[in-house]
Parts: sequence; C-alpha cells; structure tokens
Amino acid sequence: MDALAQAVREAPATARPQLDLELRGIRKRYGGFTAVDGVSLKVPKGRFVCLLGPSGCGKTTTLRCVAGLEDPDDGDILIGGKEATRDPPWERDIAMMFQDFALFPHMTVAKQVGFGLEMLKKPKAAIAERVKQVLASFEIAQLADRKPANLSGGQRQRVALARAMITEPRILLLDEPIGALDYSLRETVMLELKLLQQRTGISFIWVTHDQNEAFSLGDLVVVMNHARIEQQGSPEEILQRPATAFVASFVQGNNVFHGRVVRAGDGLLLVETACGSFLVPGRGPTIGSEVSFSVRAELITDLLADPHLNRLAARCTAVEYFGSLRRHVFERPDGEVMKVDQFGAYAARIVAGQRVELGWRPQDTVLHTGSAE
Amino acid sequence: MKLGWKLRSDIVGWALGTLTVVFLAYQWLPILTLGLLSFAGPTGGTTFPMNGVSLHWYAELWKATVMNDFKPPLVRSSLLAAACALTTIVLSVMSAQAMRGRFRGNNWFFYLMLLGIMAPGILVGFGFAVLMRLLGIELAWNTTTFLVQVSWTLPFGFLTMLAVFNRFDSRVEEAALTLGASRITAFRRITLPLILPGVIGAGLFGFSLSYDEYPRSMFTTGPDQTLPLAIMAQLDRQLTPEIYAIGTTTTAFSLIAVLMCSSALWAMRRSTSARRS
Repeated sequence: MDALAQAVREAPATARPQLDLELRGIRKRYGGFTAVDGVSLKVPKGRFVCLLGPSGCGKTTTLRCVAGLEDPDDGDILIGGKEATRDPPWERDIAMMFQDFALFPHMTVAKQVGFGLEMLKKPKAAIAERVKQVLASFEIAQLADRKPANLSGGQRQRVALARAMITEPRILLLDEPIGALDYSLRETVMLELKLLQQRTGISFIWVTHDQNEAFSLGDLVVVMNHARIEQQGSPEEILQRPATAFVASFVQGNNVFHGRVVRAGDGLLLVETACGSFLVPGRGPTIGSEVSFSVRAELITDLLADPHLNRLAARCTAVEYFGSLRRHVFERPDGEVMKVDQFGAYAARIVAGQRVELGWRPQDTVLHTGSAE
Repeated sequence: MKLGWKLRSDIVGWALGTLTVVFLAYQWLPILTLGLLSFAGPTGGTTFPMNGVSLHWYAELWKATVMNDFKPPLVRSSLLAAACALTTIVLSVMSAQAMRGRFRGNNWFFYLMLLGIMAPGILVGFGFAVLMRLLGIELAWNTTTFLVQVSWTLPFGFLTMLAVFNRFDSRVEEAALTLGASRITAFRRITLPLILPGVIGAGLFGFSLSYDEYPRSMFTTGPDQTLPLAIMAQLDRQLTPEIYAIGTTTTAFSLIAVLMCSSALWAMRRSTSARRS
C-alpha cells in the first residue's frame, strides 16, 4: 500500500496540528438537492490534493465550503488544526483561484495583486515592493499597469495566481484553474503549478473533472460522485486498485464487470457475469453476493498463455491510436464496450471486424471492495 | 435584376438612419422652438414670428418681482430633485442587492416596488394629501412632496440597478472575500466601482423625474411651490416668453449636469486605466 495514502488515512487525532485541512462529515443541501453528503478528508501539511469527479458531483461545493463561500449544514472544517466552520471567508487562512479567474475588471494588475496585502493593512511602500517581487517571479512585471481586459488567457491565469499567492495562505483552493486555458498552454501551466506548490509548501486543493490533471498533479486524489467521496488515495492506488465500480469506470482504461459469486475459497472467487465466469482474487464476499470487478485495458492480451485463465471471445469494432498506444475497442457479449490497449509502434495484430479470443490473469483482476463511506 | 443582400441591407440601413434623424428632430424641435422664442425682443409674444432678438426675458427672469419670482421655486425643486436622486440611489442599490439574494416573497417585493410606476400620479398625490390631512401632518415641499416623489422615482432606479446586477459577475466579489476583504470592504472596493455607471443612471432618473414632476406635487406641496407648480400658476396668469427662458435655462442646467456626470466617469476610467508607475 502506498505510504502516503496510509499516512493520510491513519493520521492520528493528536497529529491534528500538522494537518492543513480537515473536513469532518460536511453536508450541504440546496432545497431538496444534496450537493455534498458527508465528506470527510484529511490533508497533511503541504499536499497537492485533487478533487476529481463528473460535473455536479459536489467537488466545487466542497471547495466553496472550505473557502467559506458556502455554509455547510452539517460537519466541521478545520484549517491548520483550528476550527473554522463558521469563520467568514476573509478570516480564513486560504486563497482561492476561480475557474475564469474572477479578476477585478477595474483594477490594474499591480493593484489587484496587491489587494490581499492591502486587506492586511500592510504599509503602502511594503505592498509596492512585494507586488514588484511577486510580479517579477511570475514573469508578469511588464503587465503591472494593464487591466484584465487587455490580458491574454495565460496572462490572466498568472495574475490570478499571483493575486492569490501573495499573502502566502496556508491553503490555495483552485476551481478548475486551467479549464479556461488553451490546450497548448495547459501542460506547461500544470508543470509550473506543481513546481510552485512544491517550492512554497502551500497545500493546493485542486478541483477538476479531468483525470489527467488529477493523476499527474495530485499527491492525493479524491474521487467524488453523487455528493460523496468514492475513493481517496495516491494516483497509483486509484489507478491500480479502484475501490468501486464508479471509480473503475470513471478512470480511463478500466473494463468493469458486474456479477454474482458462485464459488469462493483460497482467496479466490469465481464470479458469474453476463460475459462468462471469471476468477477474481478476494476474500470478503460470500457465495451468492453481487460484486463488481475490473481489469485494466493494458493487462488484457490476445497472446494467450497458461496464466491467462480469464478468457473471453469478442469482436473488435474499432482501433484508435493515442501516440504510442493503440486501443482496440471490442464489443462484449453483454453489449458493453471492452478496451484492450497495446503499446509500441509495431503493426497491429488485431484489425477491426476481427473476432478474437482475449484473456488476462486472475491476479490482474481488481475486486471492488469499498463503496462510498 | 435581383439586388445583392449586402446592397439591400445598405439601403435598409440608410432608410432606418433617415427615420432616426426624423425622430430626433421630432423630439428636439419643440424644445428648440422654446429656446428660440426665449430670445424674443421686449415686445415679443409667445408665438412666431419673433419680435426682435434680445436677452430681455432672461433679464426679466433675473430681476423678477415677488409675484413671478421663479428663483425660490427653482432652488426648492433643485434641492428636492437632489434629495430624491440620493434617496433613489441608496434605496435602489439596496433593494436590487436584496433581489440578488432571492428571499421569501421576492416576487411580491418586485411587484410592490413597481406599483409606484403603475399607479396614476394624480391619484397617488391626491390620496397622499388626504391621508396626510387625516393624520394631521402639514404639507410641505420638503417633507410630503419628497416622500411621494421618491415613491415615483425609486422604481426607475430599482429597475436600472436590477439590470446592472443582472450582468454582474458575483465571483469578483467572492474573490475579494477570499482575499481578506469583509463584505463592506468588498462592496466599497469592488462592487460599487463596477456598478457606478448604473448608480449614476439611477441618480439621474431620480433627479430628472422629480425635477419636472407635476401631478404628484400638485396636492402635496403646501404653500411653498416647486418649479413646475410655479410655472403652471404663471401660465394661468399670463403667458410671456419668460416661461421659455425658464425652460431653456433649466434644460441647459440639466444638460450640463449630465455632461459633468459622464465626463467625471470618463475621467475616472482614464485615471485607473492609464496610471503610470
């Protein structure tokens, strides 16, 4: 098990001062709609946390509760170990970066980057000095006298970041912070932000629906769905051991099966599905219980050998290319789509329209053990 | 031969442009007529042709006799209009802010606010006067007239501010809050500067609607008259180009006020956008 994920999960109560953020059972309802339903989270000092999930899953509402822009109906928020649930936003040790940056249209770059310090009632000369430094470090010194209307998307992003970071908050909340940028810019900006986070040691809570962002940036990835946390852990853990059928299907490259346990023993289950029976490692479920499991697309092969005990014949409907990755799309007997990935630039063995016998090892199969808490 | 769509749209453009010019003339010609006639000679009447050209009637206006001295009503109306403008600004910004939050019964609040526009002014004025009599409150231009005029000007300011807030991005306020600004500071530093053009618009509504209000003032003003009442009384007694001189003067004042407001706004924009380091 990943050491960080374990540390996150088992952080004892006495270690609370070391936590930058702790959420305990946050709940938020709007009329009849539950936006956040009992979200608990512990963020140790200086972590990069990504809240990942489809739109409407409650990730942004959770973030806004941390910022103090929403009042949770239930639960506690601790920032730096200090109870902050009812504190107004301006008294919290946080800063926030908004999706389309929410720059102040009537203020010059220098003025709005200095706004946070002005609110702290710092002397004018000190503010001017610090703004100059920060603008220089974000490489936007030449924009000091411009207004937001005269900035490009990438420049706005830097200004918003400089504005949020200047007071060196304990936590920076980022709501889809690069969603408004051109694709070509995103990768560079992501790398810069990751380095910035590591250099400053400020905890980043980054909300996104883009799993590439979450897995390439996050120390801790929190997958949310339907107002709840489905799974939290390191990127490796979530990629390799999805805890629920939702996580497995939301994360790219998993093939999910649902079925019923027909035999159990020796840490192995035989699960009957609409596509046949498969061996799945696992001890918990008893015979007759409904389970789901998944297998990653790159662990399925058409070059069958003895260990590939789980087998399935299917027809290839399409072949897609992603750089050095070749993805074969199959139609499963139950009508679902099954994906099989192969790496390398060599010629394709499988072509569209072909019926192929596929297989994978039982130990490459992941039983979904945890549901939402 | 069929005309290209570009050419056709040019022709339509010219036609609509001409219509606009005609309409503007229709709006401005009556005022222009008054303006011209106000410069009539000492023996001039109130209709064309003009009898000489002079500033006689402006001089008359200045050295007025007690009977037709328009200066006190002018001062009263200006003060009243300024007070209405300020009150309209404060109340319309506050009520439109309240509408942003959507509270229980906000629909009813909206319609009740608009009642001031719907209700016929002369009846509102009369009813208000009767009510004041019943309550034993003395009528005066700076109390009862003020109250009844605000009920008339406020809905216009309210609608203006609703439109302004409708296009307002509340995330900039939230950004200010997360940067350490309290609600009041965020309003002062972020919200107010951004809605300022609308605020000035609401104020102009308040001023101009109050300044020439007649029906609501008619019964509620008491002995010291406002300018529209004084002019109306003068029209009943005798009609001279002096009336036109008043009209021209006050129109000029209003224009100057509007120009000053807009140039102040423009100067503010400039000073914040082109600040040198």
